[in-house]
Amino acid sequence: MSATLLLFGASPASAHPMPHSVVLLDVHETSVTAQLEIPLGDLATASGIDVSQQDALRSYLTAHIRPVTTTGEAWTVSVGDLSVTATEQSSTGPYQELLASATLTPPPGGDLRHFLFRYDVVVHQVVTHTVLVSVRQDWAAGQVDADAVQVGTIEIDTRTMTVPALTVNLRGGSTWSGFVAMVRLGGNHILAGTDHLLFLLILLLPAPLLAARGRWRSTVGARTAVTRIGRTTLAFTVGHSVALAVSALTHLRFPAWPVEAFIAASILVGAIHAVRPLFPGREALVAGVFGLGHGMAFSFTLAEMQLSTGRLALSLLGFNLGIELVQVLLVALALPALIVLARLPIGRPFRLTAATVTGLAATGWLAARLGLANPLASAADSVGEHPTPMLLTLTATALAATAWTARTRFRARADRVRQRPPTAA
Amino acid sequence: MNSVKVAPRRWRGVALAATAVILLGAGIATANAATVGGNAGGNKPKAAAVKDPTRGAKGVAGLVNAANAFLDTLTDDQKASVLLDFTSDNATAWSNLPCGSSCRVGIQLSTLTDDQLTAAKAVLTAATGTGTGSGFDQISDILAADDNLAAQGSTGGGGAPPSSDASAPAADPSASAPAGTPPSGDPGAGGGGGGGYGSGLYLLAFLGTPSATGTWQLHFGGHHLAVNLTYKKGKVAGTTPFFIGVEPTSFIDDDGNTVQALAKQKDAISALVASLSTKQLTSAKLTESFSDVLLGPDKDGQFPATKEGVSVKALSPKQKKLVLDAIRPWVSIADDATAQQLLKTYESQLDKTFIGYSGTTALDTQGDYVRIDGPGVWIEFVCQNGVVYNNQIHFHTVYRDHTRDYGGEFSF
Repeated sequence: MSATLLLFGASPASAHPMPHSVVLLDVHETSVTAQLEIPLGDLATASGIDVSQQDALRSYLTAHIRPVTTTGEAWTVSVGDLSVTATEQSSTGPYQELLASATLTPPPGGDLRHFLFRYDVVVHQVVTHTVLVSVRQDWAAGQVDADAVQVGTIEIDTRTMTVPALTVNLRGGSTWSGFVAMVRLGGNHILAGTDHLLFLLILLLPAPLLAARGRWRSTVGARTAVTRIGRTTLAFTVGHSVALAVSALTHLRFPAWPVEAFIAASILVGAIHAVRPLFPGREALVAGVFGLGHGMAFSFTLAEMQLSTGRLALSLLGFNLGIELVQVLLVALALPALIVLARLPIGRPFRLTAATVTGLAATGWLAARLGLANPLASAADSVGEHPTPMLLTLTATALAATAWTARTRFRARADRVRQRPPTAA
Repeated sequence: MNSVKVAPRRWRGVALAATAVILLGAGIATANAATVGGNAGGNKPKAAAVKDPTRGAKGVAGLVNAANAFLDTLTDDQKASVLLDFTSDNATAWSNLPCGSSCRVGIQLSTLTDDQLTAAKAVLTAATGTGTGSGFDQISDILAADDNLAAQGSTGGGGAPPSSDASAPAADPSASAPAGTPPSGDPGAGGGGGGGYGSGLYLLAFLGTPSATGTWQLHFGGHHLAVNLTYKKGKVAGTTPFFIGVEPTSFIDDDGNTVQALAKQKDAISALVASLSTKQLTSAKLTESFSDVLLGPDKDGQFPATKEGVSVKALSPKQKKLVLDAIRPWVSIADDATAQQLLKTYESQLDKTFIGYSGTTALDTQGDYVRIDGPGVWIEFVCQNGVVYNNQIHFHTVYRDHTRDYGGEFSF
């Protein structure tokens, strides 16, 4: 007997003041990883095993997690590290739970997306216990960063007092939907990660200006400014793409905080440069070098997904493509305003204000990433949570700048017309 | 524990007042020769009828009069939320959880005026048993216990300490179970899935139109309480499902009285299991473990096909009486006459009834569990760790009937 619960068809949590178990499935290319969250109280009652006896617990879990193919062939199950943590569910009060990770592998040729999940950890004995099963990550189905999707509940059938297997039928996945999801993830990543964008924009801020004797003085031609912006953006792209590809493909794992701190420092340097030229004419080189650090940060997202090599390469491509698409869009939106502002009287105060605000945000991030939490950093982070107003502002400035340019040109032409001598009385 | 004196508390006054009104109003009512029903429309709350809500009628007829008297105090909008269709969806919309109106149907008590609330309680009084510690009196105690939880939540540990363990209030500040919504909370206080605690977050509904001839259900409940009384052709067709639980199991109210809302149930079950011999206990022992009742909300009609435990047939006459005594506190949710009738039925089925237990028989530890399963009756009693009072246990119990749940109106 089996309870068939298709994706999206499952009922929500059962009405229990007692905590339930949670199983989160990550569907990979050749295996499924199950992250288990099991309340300790019911686990002890069911297994009779103390949580300190890790080997005994591992055998217990292995004996009660027995996925099979739709034709009844057993999958192999290996249980990894175990740990205990404190938690709370709605209506339960605080309690402790066991965290465990199990790798479930179908037999050669077995279907990874359609199987019978025979799972009765705790439930075989504590018959009032329930298990909520969700898919947390499913690359092929394009589920890479969304919330976990519930596939069903495992609980005893009280009529027969048996635990039915949960039929898992994942919707058809494909390489294409995985790739598209990665493009989307890349785009969202740069929209939400204010720091990457801020670095690039602050570096582009003085692009239309000419440095002389340690100060930003007059403006350069629009064509030169556009070329500079293009070169700097390209260099940043090359820098972060190379670092992303190398660290992802070689599975190089840098600790996160030095990389994140380096990024904060890069923004700070960019902000200072926008006030006083530190490296005039070499913005592209700086963008490329600092870009390496940003690329390493991008690779953390991919590393967390634990993808197979084939999918990793595709993900890398898709993820980077998403980043570049959004980056190009944002730079294109910012470009008219950058060039126009530099020519206006408010150009200077605007540049100094923007550099100061960015410098403050960068200082906040730097402190936070070195372990000193502060409101500056949280405020700066919150900007990334609202990409829509940010995009609208950029679009508005682009339109305003374009309109200003058009009006100036029109006036210039009108002036020329007025200066023509009258031909008739 | 048995000798605890239960002195007047908040609802008791209401009950007394209602009784006085009944006595005073009996004569007036007959003189009025009032008809059943006749609740006119209008959108203003009406003044409460200062007469016997049952109009002197007994049984279901009296209840229907009380129900109509309550409806007469309501606005049209309020009536619309009380008078609902007797569908499976509405009937099964009950829960043991503090999920307020998000998991229940009907009108929330906190939205009623004083007059309306008095009329609502008169309906419950007319429908349920009269004994101390059972029927309406027990309902009042469950609501009082929930007010205790609400006070516990809002004061963060300053509420009246439970009598059995003075150190009980959750000392851990992180022990923030669903925040205590004030009992007089706004209408939406029970929404959003979280809900809260407090006597205001209980809901009353009539599924079908109350009448002494038709089929309808009185549906009342909130945290730890679900009353489903079904009426058909002027008779009680079902007294189940009846969920009743309590936390804290014992506390001292504002007047200094100890309130043990489930004392009757717990003491009767204790007496029953205590009477079992070692040999009987061995066959009564269930192999499974329980952290809650098996047939709680949403488990309608899901009775195990096989009865487990020791057969009552094998018990002595004295023990058989203890089984009946153990069933009585749950059956007493119905009016006294119906309760007597049902007990007779269950008595005739005793030889096909089984007693099972799990955990220990002390009924003082998480997982201690007792079940009575007969051809009709199904009762579960389980001890769970506290949610608000973390270092105490609390009780969950459910009374179902294999054939009479919701008056046998639905098949599951």
